[in-house]
Amino acid sequence: MENGTLTQGEGKDPSGFLSEIIGNAVTVKLNSGVVYKGELQSVDGYMNIALEKTEEYVNGVKRRNYGDAFVRGNNVMYISAE
Amino acid sequence: MADTAEEGNTVAEPLDLVRLLLDEIVCVKLRGDRELKGRLHAYDSHCNLVLGDVEETIYVVEDEEGDDDIKTVSRKSEMLFVRGDSVVLIAPHSRPY
Amino acid sequence: MLFFSFFKTLIDHEVTVELKNDIQIRGILKSVDQYLNIKLEDISVVEELKYPHLSAVKNVFIRGSVVRYVHLPAGAVDIPLLEDATRREAANQAGKAK
Repeated sequence: MENGTLTQGEGKDPSGFLSEIIGNAVTVKLNSGVVYKGELQSVDGYMNIALEKTEEYVNGVKRRNYGDAFVRGNNVMYISAE
Repeated sequence: MADTAEEGNTVAEPLDLVRLLLDEIVCVKLRGDRELKGRLHAYDSHCNLVLGDVEETIYVVEDEEGDDDIKTVSRKSEMLFVRGDSVVLIAPHSRPY
Repeated sequence: MLFFSFFKTLIDHEVTVELKNDIQIRGILKSVDQYLNIKLEDISVVEELKYPHLSAVKNVFIRGSVVRYVHLPAGAVDIPLLEDATRREAANQAGKAK
């Protein structure tokens, strides 16, 4: 509601892209430059993200693994499907 | 409003993942190179949190004559409210895959 | 509303508010609003030598948005009650971010 109209599915709007790639391997880059690679479990209208089998990269160097990870949407620069 | 999936183990939206971590030990990454480890007692949709038995680690870069040494500072707190706008990431602790 | 209600249960307890500029202010929680703005009375500043400019101040109103942490008295927190309230709030909020 706060994020405007988010019609699902048609693949025409950006959020349609997000719902299409659920379950895929994705790269999430944050504004800080930190990168997370993992399997996309879910996204919401704030661009909060749940990832599975997550790998964290700082300056291109792998730092650690998280089984699951919740990323708060305001930190997200982009989500890209592998 | 109240449907049956809410109390289940489904992860239909990202915050469901956080719901499953209630009363578990979590690792929280914050802005400003800080990390918290503690038991999750409360959260809301802004990611405001209450953590119990918390250990905070702060990563500080010490720029001594061009050597960027990274120092860590540790602090403990029995019960801590964390304002959501500082939160970057929430993950279960001690479940490496 | 969860944390607004939660903080109301802590009124008249001593808390330490840590701001995003690292200043820590200890005082008695006197009031809180829906934005989690906070009024503290009878305050003292942790590391006063580093932040001497508040030494004459007794009461403060802190804008919620500048707060990083609030250190709470563990004994004043009913953990099972808080976790149940969190589950209820989560059920009410479910799907709203869609």
